Amino acid sequence: MASALPLIGLLLAHAAAPVRAEEDISIPVLVPVTGFLSLEGTSQRNGALLALKDAVPGLTIRSDVIDTGTSPEAAVTALERAAGGGGVVAVGASMLGTQMLAMLPLAEEYGLPLVTVSGTASITEQGNPWVFRFFPGDAVTKEAHARYVVEELGKRRAAVIYQTTAYGQSGKAHLDTVLKRLGAEPVFAEGVDPTAKDLLPVLTKALAAGPDVLILHLHSGPTALFLRQAAAQGLTIPVVAGSAMHQPSTAALLEPAELKGVCAETAASPVSGGSPEMEAFTEAYRREFKAEPDAFALGQYDGTRMVLEAVKAGARTPQAVRDALAGGTHKGLAMTYRSDGKGNMAHSAVIVCYDGASRVPKLAKRYDNVTGVVP
Amino acid sequence: MRDLRSLGQPLLLASGALALTSYALLYASPYELRVLTVAGVYALAVTGFQIVFGLAGALSLAHGAFFGLGAYATGILGSRYGLGFAATFPLSLLLPLVVALLVGLPVLRLESHYFALATLGVAQVVLLLAVNLPDLTGGANGLPGVPGVVLFGWAVPRGLPLAALVWGMVAFGGLLAWRVARGRLGRALVLVRDDPLAAAALGLDVGRLRLAAFALSAVFAGAAGALSVHTQRVVSPEVLEFPVMVSVLTMAVVGGRGRVAGAILGALLLIHLPEWFRALERSYLIVYGVALLAAVIAAPQGLTGLLDRLLPPRDRAPPRPVPPAEPARSGPGPALVVRGLAKSFGGVRAVDGVSFALEPGAITGLIGPNGSGKTTVINLLSGLERPDAGTVELFGTETAGWRPDRIARAGLARTFQSGALPDGATVLEAVAAARLAEDPGLVPAEAHALWALERLGAGGLAGRLCGDLPAALRRRVELARALARRPGLLLLDEPAAGLTDAEKADLAGHLRAAAAEGTAVLVVEHDMGFLLPLAGRVLCLDQGRLLYEGPPEGVRRDPAVVAAYLGEGTA
Repeated sequence: MASALPLIGLLLAHAAAPVRAEEDISIPVLVPVTGFLSLEGTSQRNGALLALKDAVPGLTIRSDVIDTGTSPEAAVTALERAAGGGGVVAVGASMLGTQMLAMLPLAEEYGLPLVTVSGTASITEQGNPWVFRFFPGDAVTKEAHARYVVEELGKRRAAVIYQTTAYGQSGKAHLDTVLKRLGAEPVFAEGVDPTAKDLLPVLTKALAAGPDVLILHLHSGPTALFLRQAAAQGLTIPVVAGSAMHQPSTAALLEPAELKGVCAETAASPVSGGSPEMEAFTEAYRREFKAEPDAFALGQYDGTRMVLEAVKAGARTPQAVRDALAGGTHKGLAMTYRSDGKGNMAHSAVIVCYDGASRVPKLAKRYDNVTGVVP
Repeated sequence: MRDLRSLGQPLLLASGALALTSYALLYASPYELRVLTVAGVYALAVTGFQIVFGLAGALSLAHGAFFGLGAYATGILGSRYGLGFAATFPLSLLLPLVVALLVGLPVLRLESHYFALATLGVAQVVLLLAVNLPDLTGGANGLPGVPGVVLFGWAVPRGLPLAALVWGMVAFGGLLAWRVARGRLGRALVLVRDDPLAAAALGLDVGRLRLAAFALSAVFAGAAGALSVHTQRVVSPEVLEFPVMVSVLTMAVVGGRGRVAGAILGALLLIHLPEWFRALERSYLIVYGVALLAAVIAAPQGLTGLLDRLLPPRDRAPPRPVPPAEPARSGPGPALVVRGLAKSFGGVRAVDGVSFALEPGAITGLIGPNGSGKTTVINLLSGLERPDAGTVELFGTETAGWRPDRIARAGLARTFQSGALPDGATVLEAVAAARLAEDPGLVPAEAHALWALERLGAGGLAGRLCGDLPAALRRRVELARALARRPGLLLLDEPAAGLTDAEKADLAGHLRAAAAEGTAVLVVEHDMGFLLPLAGRVLCLDQGRLLYEGPPEGVRRDPAVVAAYLGEGTA
């Protein structure tokens, strides 16, 4: 019997070899870790990597991180590079809308599901069946944003200040639509360049229009700059900002007192807690990356976990993973995800507010299943 | 050994091209082919930039905008209107060309950094338009769904076919740019870059040449932009942003300024470099920066400059000297008649009602104390300054207020007080530059230039660099350059400065020979020992006015000249 052991071992190893090759699975992460979106891109990266850690017992999943910078060209090159790696069942894809739009045709050609937290509305409007967005799009977040301003704060004379980027223009369009529907058309609206170094002129112009609330839809840096300048001016009307404000990295740029009375829409605020699972996630994230998690990290985490659930359930090809994402429901940490048929998986948003004493916001209002997609 | 080394550079470049082709055909993965395709797109853009920046020396920061205009033309026409490659590609070349012509007219009048800033402004305007006209451009999101290239009914797939198409365009564009650089236009642009005043004085229309370079480079940029959209199937404002411009500029500098091979090497290196290090995540930018710095330090003249140093190019066989045809001048009469010439700079009257005439075949001296207006008179006659009043008749034609190149083509040649030879050019190239406005190509221009050099006993200097010449030889080469145009009127500004007595005697001999052939010569000079025996007549200026006009022997006896210029004790 003892002499037969090596032979049995050899046979087992031989038999196992094709299985290992078959189960050579890769989920590359293609995100901007350099450039103006490096903070958000790093959150995305961290969320994906945390989800992939000890993902499926007995299965090794490769996950190369490739920086996409901020150009569409670099994103397409990164996708081409990742696709050539073999064993790819899904791709964690950039949150930058223009990069996603550039990657979509190639993803369709290769038949690779893209899992992203990009908020740009048009990425799921291209009729491309390979994109899955685990962050509420503008149709959800701006609905929550505008409804909180009008229904909860009771304000009807909003001044809207947005960014002249894809993110800013898309959000502004949705805000206009919802505010108009709610009978609260803005009294002022102006776009600002993300590289602007002084936002006092636009603040002054906005206040001159006599608003009763300021609605911001800016990137992280400009949001912090605007709020600091507004606080210095002794602003007395409330500010409801876009999702960039909820990021701990944005709050870190401001003193707690400068945040008093500021609220923000977002998909989730992991640092605000809310459930034991969320707190466990936040602790694990802090331990692993020595940083605070945000909604982008959580969205990418939830999306990657849904891919892993599919793999755990036997999906071994991109098509099988795509089918699982397109047809399944996933109870994530931030919300329950389900595709609306176009790849929009997230249908809930929250409003968080700062009390002026801490940089950690508190949950003020939940807007669940805004689209009615989740049963 | 030298012959073998001189053959090395073309052999090395040809081997590199062959290796690249073999790599693409036999080994490259789809990802590697894509990187190669992107490098080809940039190689085409940088090739165009070499014309305006490398050859013409104009730092156009609008090149990225022209790239973006080509991209948007293809994107809008392709995705919004469904036009195919056969229509979108030519229009993507036409749009930047038209914009370059419209923008070039005003901005090309500006010099150096003002020009760079103006072109940067143009680029910013185009970017703002792209972001703020969402109905046309898709705004900040851009336009997805740009169709791929379809050639004669065949949809060119990505991978090897698309790479082959892009590199085919690079080869065609590179050949075109190489012919431009090696031809009359390229040589003229280099002269404009090195010394625009000298170029104008040699009959070259500096404004038109710069505009041609600007427009031609825009066409290359448009072609590259169009191809870039076909490689990524989406157009967005990133194609108009400054990083594209910085990439193009860096590739041109690292590859080697002004050279087609430099454009290709620079693009290949700078597109591949980040890909090699990308696995290092954030750290790759540091490694990339260090690698780039190392490349610039190791090869300050670019990769092609390094090649030139290691494998010097073969010296070309000199042409056979051929005398240029004598230009036809209008009938008998004075070469130049000046009446009441006046010019003020602010409150200073530099030239005040000066009148004189110069006869063919005569040498005239122009003397006067410093600041008396001598150089201003020459500048007014040659068109570098515009007179406030007075008339100038050159061979019977009124030329006051004309551009310098037009006056030069009418028969006037001049030299400058400070030598105007480009240090990096060979003597033959420097002298041949004087024939670029006259001759149909470089070969006859160099044959005529060699004739002028040999006439002054300087034929043996043809292959030497101007920067290596001592002062006396530089003067002789400058004179050869002026005489190569067979001018009817020759203006020389202090030609004997810094020469020994023997060299002055030699120079005097050459000037007499030129005059003997019928050229009217006006010599501005302080060296009376050189000038008075040479000149048949002397004009003396003081405070912009003509103080004396007459034979040289009368100069030392004229009390006004002695008082104003020569000083007591010289009579």
